[in-house]
Amino acid sequence: MSKPQSEVPYGTLDLLILKTLEAMGPLHGYAIARRIEQVSGDSLQLSQGSVHPALIRLEQEGWIRTDWGISETNRKVKFYSLTRAGKKQVPVEVANWEKATALVARLLESL
Amino acid sequence: MTTVRGAVERLLALVRRGRLERELEDEIVAHLELAERDAVARGLSPEEARHAARRRFGGIEQMKEEHRDRRSFRWMETLMSDLRYGLASLGRAPGFTAVVVSVLALGVGANVAMFSVVDAVLLKPLPFPQPDRIVRVWEAPLPGVVNATSAPDFLDWKRLANSVFKALSAEQPISVALTDKNGATRLSGKAVTADYFQVFATKAQLGRTFTPEEDRPGAAAAIVLSHAAWQGDFGGDPDILRRHPILDGVPHQVIGVLPPGAFDRDETRFWKPLVFTPDQQVRDIHWLTVYGRLRGGVTAARAAERIEAIYAALAQTRSINDRKWTIVVEPLARLVAGAGLERSIYVAFGAVALVLLIACANAVNLLLAKAASRRRELAVRSALGASRGRLVAQLLTESMVLCLLGGVAGIAVAGLLIRAAKPLLAESLPFTADVNLDLRVLSFAGAIALGVALLAGTFPALRASFSDVAESLSGSFRGSSGAHARLRRAIVTGEVALSLVLVSGALLLFRSLLKLQQLDTGVRLENVVTMSLDLPAGTYPTPQKAAVFYRAMAQRLEAVPGVSQVGLATHLPLRWISNGEGIIISGIRDPVMVRFKRVDPGYFRTLGIPVVAGRGITGQDSDGTPRVMVINQALAGRLAEVARMTDPVGKVVRVSTPGYVEKREFIPEVEIVGVIRSERVSSPGDRDPPVVYVPLAQAPSPQVKLVIRTGAEMAAVMPAIREAVRDIDPNLPLGDVATMEQVRDRTLSGASRPAELIGAFAAIAVLLAAIGLYGVLSHTVTLQRREIGIRMALGARVPDVLLHVLRNALGMVAVGLAFGLLGTFALTRVMKNLLFEVSPLDPVALTIGCASMALIGLLAGFLPARRAASLDPVETLREEG
Repeated sequence: MSKPQSEVPYGTLDLLILKTLEAMGPLHGYAIARRIEQVSGDSLQLSQGSVHPALIRLEQEGWIRTDWGISETNRKVKFYSLTRAGKKQVPVEVANWEKATALVARLLESL
Repeated sequence: MTTVRGAVERLLALVRRGRLERELEDEIVAHLELAERDAVARGLSPEEARHAARRRFGGIEQMKEEHRDRRSFRWMETLMSDLRYGLASLGRAPGFTAVVVSVLALGVGANVAMFSVVDAVLLKPLPFPQPDRIVRVWEAPLPGVVNATSAPDFLDWKRLANSVFKALSAEQPISVALTDKNGATRLSGKAVTADYFQVFATKAQLGRTFTPEEDRPGAAAAIVLSHAAWQGDFGGDPDILRRHPILDGVPHQVIGVLPPGAFDRDETRFWKPLVFTPDQQVRDIHWLTVYGRLRGGVTAARAAERIEAIYAALAQTRSINDRKWTIVVEPLARLVAGAGLERSIYVAFGAVALVLLIACANAVNLLLAKAASRRRELAVRSALGASRGRLVAQLLTESMVLCLLGGVAGIAVAGLLIRAAKPLLAESLPFTADVNLDLRVLSFAGAIALGVALLAGTFPALRASFSDVAESLSGSFRGSSGAHARLRRAIVTGEVALSLVLVSGALLLFRSLLKLQQLDTGVRLENVVTMSLDLPAGTYPTPQKAAVFYRAMAQRLEAVPGVSQVGLATHLPLRWISNGEGIIISGIRDPVMVRFKRVDPGYFRTLGIPVVAGRGITGQDSDGTPRVMVINQALAGRLAEVARMTDPVGKVVRVSTPGYVEKREFIPEVEIVGVIRSERVSSPGDRDPPVVYVPLAQAPSPQVKLVIRTGAEMAAVMPAIREAVRDIDPNLPLGDVATMEQVRDRTLSGASRPAELIGAFAAIAVLLAAIGLYGVLSHTVTLQRREIGIRMALGARVPDVLLHVLRNALGMVAVGLAFGLLGTFALTRVMKNLLFEVSPLDPVALTIGCASMALIGLLAGFLPARRAASLDPVETLREEG
């Protein structure tokens, strides 16, 4: 825990999960959480457990689906992957995020 | 209210537990394991790894809670809080709540109960697999007339029409004596060909149904029992398949028991194979009812064409007499609900729909009244910043809660109604109809409750929130004027109108019923008890034996104390005579078609049927004397018409006469010895058919009905009657014991049932209209308190106030009655078919209807009026100031 860590910005976990699944294909919950941590160079403080509620939400939206698979520890776990709607949603979410950050950046500059 | 909330919570908890929760648990365990493994790989000890994995995961319970929240529905919480508010607000006005809920419960309950009947009889598919393929096959000698089938014809169809029928079966109702150590009882059954259960696609629950060999001559005596017969007549004996019950003196093996269901509602208790004896294989005797199961894709019309083609082909090779009969293949579904029953059901359903409308009107009215009295509360909340939408939502939730409570109570009412009406329904509905509060009926109830909630809830909610805040707050809203009051008056007027339609409909049916009761049936009904008797062919193989038995039994019965007269006949008085025969008169080409009834010397005397010419049937008319017959006046008229036979007594004609057991008819010469006054044998409205009465001794039948005139106490004589019959043959049970009044009611029942039903609905409607009138009037008086106070302060006397309020009430009622009369006129055509000798615009019925509604209006107005008049003006003015 030597590096300074920051919280996951509000509302971005969904986007991070969608992006991860887009890049990596089907993953189970732990792998998704690890992947996000690794990509951030462990600078993101993610309660790994919080991916599970986020996954449920995404599933309810119809953007991801679950299939049963076997984990490396030989246990039956859910593997998540993007649905067709989810694949379409990724660029939308990315665009939304970029719009929002651009807006905040402009506001910060002009205030 | 907390209990309601608690119940909902527990219910949700139940749903939440279960699969999703277990899956989440598994996910967490898997996640932690994987994390631990990675940590160990990074070089941590197992203990440290477990802690690290836990730490990185974060709060497990917190995460689970979040997970659950995501899974469950957010809006549930909001709804719960609105419901809580609604219930609390209803709880503050328990009287109001109780009235609205019970009004709706009556309306919804009556509708749900009625719908369950409509559903069972007309909507639900018949309770057999692929029910649309089950058909009945008739011969139609004339358009609109259908006839039973002869055994050779049936066998031809079965052999040659198997391209259109998957199975074809013939049946004949039978009745046997079941004897065991306790004596003999009668058991109704059917003799059926082996395909019967294939037609209905019914498999046995225990054992099996018939094999194709079992309706061939020489097969062992086997029977299949209905589930009800197994449970009832055989006490649910688990060893039933090894029992050999004695039917008509012959042991039969029980080879199967049907599953519970539709067949239990029929009177048939058992089935045995129908084996055609050589003497039954005659084309002239039509005695079989034929059912078939169509092959997939075959229409009823194609099946009929096929059989007609068979007829045509056979007619060429075998010269069947020049028959040009058509064949009718009719789906069973259409047959079970006859046109008459269907019409009665729809009329009754229409009546309950009116009841529901009235109930809705009442609920709207009460809610409007409630909203009006809450104007100030709503105005304050609106002034404090509650949006109009929020207020509407809240009022709407409140009315929804009310209506749903009403709906639930209504389902309970429907359950009670169905249970109470079940015996009556079982008697008047086809056996395929299973009347129940099942899922279909419950969803109908749900839809109705929701519809009522929307109808009754939305309107008052919108009205209440659109009223002027300032006006309400300033307290200037007083009196009964304004759009609000006008609307409520309009609703009450409508209620009165609808109620009048129902009440006069019920009165019309009631008057028609009275007419039917007074109808001259041509027989003396009082103190006559009837029963039926079947002679087993084994004990009574010849007509002579039967004739001897009948004579002995009649004599023995007449000696029973309390019995004054005894008569025997093949058909009950006032019931349709199913035997049809033809009279051949020399010189006339076509036979005269008649109904054919065999009676003993006591029959006319016992029923008080007068002989108008010649003589009746006497003990002298027997096997050894010349054949004679007595005809009814209708036949005498017919003979005068077609054969110019003005004085039929003494004339000799030939009459086709059915055999004893064998299906063979003979056409002896018979002398007409007398004419009797016609007894009624068909439903009112139909003309008396021509009937021939032949001495039972000259043409015995194994099935007879006993008609016994007793002293005052019919029930007391019954044991002695049974004892007397047992004296002569201990193995002969008597069945279908009924008084002559019951027999008559059954003949008239087609006309009386809707009257009873609609009468009940009219009573509910009147009750609801009275509640509605009372509600509105008393509310109006409440709002007019100040006005009344001022009037009284200015010198108005109590009678003036009473008069004022009552005039108001009667005004509403009068307008309602005018509209109601218009509605009654509009329904003339519907009612005409249900009425017997009563005009649909019968002035007596309409006058009584109007008068009773006016009386109810007066009563409903009187109570609030008296209360208004008893107010102390000073008090009222001070309180309102």
